[in-house]
This record gives sequence, structure tokens and C-alpha cells, in this order.
Amino acid sequence: MSLQNIKRQLQDEFSGYISELSVMYGQEIRFSTDADKLPEICGCLYHQMGMPLVDLFAADERSRGGKFALYYVFAHRTKGVFVLVKTLVDEKKPVFPSITGTIHAAHLYEREIRDLFGLQPEGHPDLRPLVFHGNWPQGVYPLRKDYDGSLRPPMENMEQEFLHIHGTGVYEIPVGPVHAGIIEPGHFRFSVAGEPVINLEAQLYFVHKGIEKMCEGAGIEKCFYISERISGDETFANSLAYCQAVEKIAGVEVPERAQYSRVVFAELERLISHLGDLNAVCTDVAYGFAASQFGMMRIWAYQMTDQICSSRFLRSVNSIGGVRRDFLAGWEKKLQEFLLRLYKELTDTIQIIKSNSLFIDRVEHTGVLDLQTAIDLNAVGPAGRAAGIHRDMRKDFPYAAYGKLDFTVPDHNNGDVNCRINVKLEECFEAIKLIRQALEAMPQGGVHIPVDKAPPYRSALGYTEAPRGENIHWVMSGEDNTVFRYKIRTPSFCNWPALCHAVKGNVVPDFPLINKSFNLSYAGNDL
Amino acid sequence: MQVMIYKGMSRMLKMLKKILQYPRLTVDYPRIPFTAALGSGRPVVEKESCTLCGQCVQRCPSSAIVLDRDMQEIGFNLDECIFCSLCAQVCPAGAITVSGDFELAQKYRGALRSLMYEDLGVRMEAKIRKIFGRSLHIREVDAGSCNGCDYEINATMNPLNDLERFGVHFVASPRHADMLLVTGVVTRNMESALRKTYQAVPDPKLVVAVGACACSGGIFRDSYAAQGGVDAVLPVDVYIPGCPPRPQAIIYGILKALDPLK
Repeated sequence: MSLQNIKRQLQDEFSGYISELSVMYGQEIRFSTDADKLPEICGCLYHQMGMPLVDLFAADERSRGGKFALYYVFAHRTKGVFVLVKTLVDEKKPVFPSITGTIHAAHLYEREIRDLFGLQPEGHPDLRPLVFHGNWPQGVYPLRKDYDGSLRPPMENMEQEFLHIHGTGVYEIPVGPVHAGIIEPGHFRFSVAGEPVINLEAQLYFVHKGIEKMCEGAGIEKCFYISERISGDETFANSLAYCQAVEKIAGVEVPERAQYSRVVFAELERLISHLGDLNAVCTDVAYGFAASQFGMMRIWAYQMTDQICSSRFLRSVNSIGGVRRDFLAGWEKKLQEFLLRLYKELTDTIQIIKSNSLFIDRVEHTGVLDLQTAIDLNAVGPAGRAAGIHRDMRKDFPYAAYGKLDFTVPDHNNGDVNCRINVKLEECFEAIKLIRQALEAMPQGGVHIPVDKAPPYRSALGYTEAPRGENIHWVMSGEDNTVFRYKIRTPSFCNWPALCHAVKGNVVPDFPLINKSFNLSYAGNDL
Repeated sequence: MQVMIYKGMSRMLKMLKKILQYPRLTVDYPRIPFTAALGSGRPVVEKESCTLCGQCVQRCPSSAIVLDRDMQEIGFNLDECIFCSLCAQVCPAGAITVSGDFELAQKYRGALRSLMYEDLGVRMEAKIRKIFGRSLHIREVDAGSCNGCDYEINATMNPLNDLERFGVHFVASPRHADMLLVTGVVTRNMESALRKTYQAVPDPKLVVAVGACACSGGIFRDSYAAQGGVDAVLPVDVYIPGCPPRPQAIIYGILKALDPLK
């Protein structure tokens, strides 16, 4: 009903300049428009209709209609509807109007499109290269179809620009890409005066592997294995988003037992991730006892996944059409015991750490992400929820068996490290609750429907609430059961700019703490 | 004031209780074999049942399986294998099983590959190997992984595995390191940082490649932004296959680099 309302509203607002209005999968409203009408339409969707921009990408569709296509994805989170706006760009005039001025979340998407497709966002405030660090030849665009994906052009050596803050006593601290800890590579430029950070610029894409290009022309099965390897500890969340997109394209309904199994594995992954973050935050404030407690609980969770599916990272567990085999059969009792043990230990530990004012002093009012910034940048997941955006894909766009299960979304508003760890702690309890319910409600039956065919040139969105937040994948199938274009937008892509804002005004030694409370994936951002 | 003291004491007692409740988490690997690995290790083919149909070769997402029609056998390039076990699933004859064998690290990449003749004549120059004594300092570099291997390297230091008990320490700077532990495909954007890190490590030094990506480029090896493994850029002393290798497999590889194990 509400979908029809939105559709009608779109027709009324934009009659005359939109075409090919259609509804797919009961939740994707799609239409096309001319590039010059884009800013107006996007602005209306964002500002008047209250839909955040959740994805923006290009596809080289010159082989199909002679032009590049741009897709703008907006999400109506309370109604569970996506609106996809498509526009075409001619290769002879490779420009499109930038919407960054009115919708700030578009900033990085537009720069990425410029680097990888060579389409210029006109009016964009910051056109420095993003993906390649001065080593990529100008005028070569890897995501264009006429670029051979295995070609490695010779290294260029061009100057890279950073934002410079001028003033008396202002100096810069460069950090990375190789860090002191065992973490992923990234370069941070802190501009500081005394101790407080005035500005932080994060240079990412050090682990850019060209994943999206690799998937083009590859079989749907191979792309599944690539999707598992987008971001190490989000194996299941990413592969699930991919599988759901392909399942929609193939028109396959996944068996019910597999739907519940997917909930169990997705929540186990969330537990492992959140316990790891809590461990890291406690380590960074030198609270050894608490760090060790969370570390131990995380080890228990890893042992559980290892025993159930022989893979600590839940690899080769998911599958297009369900889960690969009935992993959970026979493990219900062991899993329930583990959940009980974890629940008790978590409750005990929280009681101890919450009464420690030394610990609370470090995390409270540290690294505040204010609500307006969070909204402007489309901050997602625990970071968004801690700042007051109480949205969760599992509630707004229920997938797998989430629609049938009872859980609550944490309600916090201060946006500091304390709120982020509280969100994660509460989500650990919700995850335990969800796994218990799923194990009880899970029917007997098959867990997998083989999917080896996907009709060509169909597209669909696949989405999950990854441990780090809203995770949106868009797949367009090609001929012979291949992938024509695979756009991956992980939660980390949205939250990196939010982290840079949250750091401002804090002292440099608090950066590791703030960073860990976000715990963003570099690999998931850089692709 | 008294209330605060009481609260502090009570918290301390609760902490002590927890510490007594879990006195030791560390397992005894490698003194006692690690048996929890149920089946995510080396794929094994039973020659009698294999019909050489080639289905596993065709389906392997990482193209890590080779079929030698002359020798009438199939083999696995473990440096490229992503250990997804799809081969075992698709084999119509049921000839492939995935064993629990995770102690796979090798000093020559060729030894991980199916056809040993590839390795002939490719013996690495014997390195001057000073005895590091009982202490080894490691600098880890992620040169383009998915972060899976890095998590597992971190896990070697958790209370369960506690690699420090062997005198192995992870250090913050390459200048303090004896060994580089490198993960990832070596991306275009990380190549120069990796080289600089290597140059900053004082001689003598060892390089260990961790995971399928570092061993060969893994599933990403043909991409425009990947250099296809660490040995495309640096000399590698030990290759630890896996996607990701479990923490015990990494410990095995590090110890292998030091020669106390065969």
C-alpha cells in the first residue's frame, strides 16, 4: 500500500520528466530521468520525502544502449522501499551534475565514479583523486568495459594533495599506511594545535584490489567466493547480501530452514565482531581485565563457529539458494549451552566495568558524532544508532527470517564512545536472543536450492545489516550466468567520513579509542 | 567516601573471582597436536576413485586445481587454494575429501604446488641465517588482504594461543623486527610501502607470506590492482597457505621459519 503511495507521489511530483517507472520485487521503485533534472529530483527525494541516499554508482552499459548509466539509490526506511533513479551519460560528453552540494553523502561516491569511470561530476567541491595514489595513468579508467581487467599499467608518480590547515602553532602528524598494531593499512593526516585535533584526513584505498572489475564477466558462483572475501570478519554479511541479490534475479525462494540458519550465522558473526570491538576499546584504555574477558568470550564464539562449520570466519557456509549443508542439525544443544554461558559471562562483566568510573570517564563524551553530521553523511550501524539514527536493516527491510523474530534496536543519542559500546553490548544480548529464537522456530527440511542459472541483464539489490551496519550490494547479471556489474557498498564506506568528524576536538591519544569504537573495515571500503 | 571504597573493593573481589574462574586459557599447541580442526585443511584426492572428469578443475573459484592427463592425476596448488571445499562438494565420484591437516607451511613456494618439477632449479639462495636466539621480533604488514589473515595473526597473541610464550613478539616498527609477516595480494597502492617497510628491517631478516593472497594473489591474483603475491615484490622465506590459515597454522609457519621443526 505504502509502496503504491510513494509511487503515486513520485508520479505527481515529477510527471513529465520521469520515464520507465516500474516496481520490482515488491520493494524497488525504479525510474529513469534526464541528467539535468537529477539535482532537482534527488533533492526532492532527500529533503521533501525524507529518503537518505544509500548508494550511488555507475555502470558501463555502452554495449547495451551506447551510454553509461548512473544509479542513485534512496531508501525509505520506515516504509521498507528503495527508489532507484537511473540516468544516462554519453561517452562523448562524460559529465553529470554533482549533487554533493545538497546531499553531502554523495561526496565520495561521485569521486569514486570519476576515478573508475572517467565521468566528471560537475560542480563537485573536491575533485582530488581518491582511489589511486598518484600511481595510475591519467585518462585510464579500469571500470570501463573496454579496459582489460588483468592489465597493470606502469607506475606513475604524481603529487598527492592533502588539506592543509594554516595558523600559528598548527602542525601535522602523518600516520601510516603501515601502523604500529596489526591492523589494515591507511594513511591519517592529523592537523593539530597542541593536543586537540583540528582536522583529520583519512587517505584510504591502500587495499584496493579491483574486486568490482574482477567480478565483471565472472560466473555467479565465482563471484560468491569473492563476495566472501570482501572484508575478513564480515564474510557472512557480505556473501548473504550477494546471495540475496542473485536469488532475486534467479527468482528463487530460499527454503525456510535456510532462512533461519542464515539468521543464526549472521548473529554469530555479529557477536564475534562486537566482542572483538569491546575487547579492542578496553585494550586501548589499558583496562586489561575487561579486555581479557571480552577476548575470552570472543574465543568461545570462534570455537563454536569452528566446531559447527569448520570455518572460524563462516566461509563456505553460505550458498546461492540457501546454506551449503544443514550445519546446525545436531548442534542445537551445544549452541544453546554456549549462549547461556555467554549471556552469564557478559552480564557479570558488564556489571564490573559499568561500576568503574575510571573507565566510564575515558569513554564518555569522547569522540562525539552529532546527529546532524550523522544524518548528512548517512552514518549507519552502531555508529549511527549511537548518534540517534535508530534504524536497522533487519527491522526496516526484513530479510532471511528476521521478520518473524522479536528483537529491539538499541536507543542511544549521545554519539560518543560510551554510546557506541553500549549499542554493541545491547546488540550482543539481542543477538543471543535472536539465535535462541531462530533455533527454536527453525522447521525441519531442506536448506538449499541449487541455483546455477541467472537470466541475463536483470538487476537486484541485496542487503544485510552487517555487524558494522547497513550493507547494500547491487548485482546486474550478464550473459551465460555471469555478473555484468557488481556494486558493493559496505557500511564502512559511509562511516569513514563520520569517524573523521567524530575525532575533531579530541586529543590525539584518544584517536585509537574512537577509531576502535567505530571499528571500520579498510578492505570493505577500498574493495 | 566509605561507599566508594566499598564499591571499589567489591569490584576488585568480582574481578579476582573471574581471574580464579578462568586461570588458564592457553592450549598446548604445538606440544600437543591441535585436534579441533574438523575439515578445513588440505584437500586430499583418492586416486582410485578419481575419474579425471575435471569438474573440480572447472569449478574451482581460485583455479587452484590442475589436471595432469599424462600423469593421470589431479593436484592442488595450495598456494592458490582458498580452502572453500567446493571441490569435495562437486566431485561426482566422491574422491576428494577435505582433511583436518592445517600444518602446511613450506619454505619453498614450489613445495606447495602440485607439480614438483616446477620447483626444480628454483632453490632459493641459502640465506645467511643468524641465530635469533630464543627471541623473534615480528612486524606485520597488511599489503592488501581482506583482513581475515590479520585477524588470525592477532589471534596468535590471544590468551588461547599466546605466541609470546615462545619468545615471539610483535613490534610496532620494522626497525625493531627480525621478520616481516605479510598478508594480502600486494596491491598497487601498497607496493611501495611494503618495499620501504622491508628496507627498514635490519639484516638478517625473514619474510613470511601468510594466506592464499600473500602466497600467490589467491582469488584476486589476476586483478589490475594486485601484484599477485608477496614474492612478486620481496624474497619470501616461508609460505603459509590458507584462506585464512588458522592461528595454529600461522604459529607452525613462524616456527618453521626458525627451523626448530622439520
